[in-house]
Amino acid sequence: MGIEDGKLLELKDGMRAAAAVAMGLAGLLAQGQMSAGRSIAKAAPVEFLYPEQVTVAAGKPATLALHFRIAPGLHINSHTPREEELIPTTFSIPEGAAVRLDKADYPAGTDFTLPLDPKEKLSVYTGEFVVQARIVASPGDHLVEAKLRYQACDNNACMPPRTITVAIDVVGK
Amino acid sequence: MKRNTLVLTAVLFILAIFAWAGWANFEYRKQAGARLLASVAKAELAPDKDGGPPQFVTPLMGKSAPEFSLEDLSGNKVSLGGYKGKAVLVNFWATWCGPCKIETPWLIELRNQYAAQGFEILGVSEDELDRDDAQKLGAEKQEIARFVQQMHMPYPVLIGGDSISEPYGGLDDLPTSFFVDRGGMVVAAQVGLTSKDEIEGNIKKALGK
Repeated sequence: MGIEDGKLLELKDGMRAAAAVAMGLAGLLAQGQMSAGRSIAKAAPVEFLYPEQVTVAAGKPATLALHFRIAPGLHINSHTPREEELIPTTFSIPEGAAVRLDKADYPAGTDFTLPLDPKEKLSVYTGEFVVQARIVASPGDHLVEAKLRYQACDNNACMPPRTITVAIDVVGK
Repeated sequence: MKRNTLVLTAVLFILAIFAWAGWANFEYRKQAGARLLASVAKAELAPDKDGGPPQFVTPLMGKSAPEFSLEDLSGNKVSLGGYKGKAVLVNFWATWCGPCKIETPWLIELRNQYAAQGFEILGVSEDELDRDDAQKLGAEKQEIARFVQQMHMPYPVLIGGDSISEPYGGLDDLPTSFFVDRGGMVVAAQVGLTSKDEIEGNIKKALGK
């Protein structure tokens, strides 16, 4: 009986080793996928920096300072572009979420002119900018998938408008 | 005997994992390859052979321009094939694109200059259209029409360009232009704002000069 137990233990160890090899292999494979994905993906024109998590008083308005970064060499229209056809930068929280957007305050744009059109002044954001979002959260832990819509250009070309997800873990206490 | 069976099972299990890993890796590489191909199937900057300014090259170069049929602002269908025998500049633009706005007056001048020699421009708008919302769609079409009128664009302006983005390489940047010769072949491409001279040079190529 003792010997049988010993054999069983050996076998269990063998199985554990096999499982470890398999898991290690799967891990390596997953790492390879991520590396390849990164090398293919284009850098995002606008990136949400922080905060990733906030704790606010439930049912009361709270203001969050949301920090974003624009890739070097690019600009995006401010919230109040001068031309009607230009697409403004806007922040929103989907309706029906446990966290409601009461108001969003945007920074003023800075003047910018394209080298080949020095007469036309654009109102844009470059580098880092902060959106002040006043929210009201219900009690509990909520993963908010807010949205930032923007349209980016450099001096010679423009990219189509994009909407990125701004994920924030909001804890209402 | 029992032990042998268990060991054999374990070995088979490991082999199965290896086989699965190999298959998954192959599938992933196949998909990554397709993604990579899609990402490079667009015009990109390459050094000029004659030492001139860098040129944009596209996998469409020397191939038939992908056929399309799009609506103009009056709702009439306009197809690229309808211009066979003419040199055509297919210019992708949008109302929200500042560099496109700078380029448009150059295009108008060049179109008027070379029209008699059998040259035409098809301006393909990449503005988003809410096809499910008639009211919004009407307003969006009006916005494009207002831009066309304001810029005095004399050539056909087509809408819904996003539907033909893929065969033209994804169109991540605007303006993007393809120069098509009289036989329907792409002879040059440009991405982003270049210069009137460069556009004219490519029009001449398309005209076979």
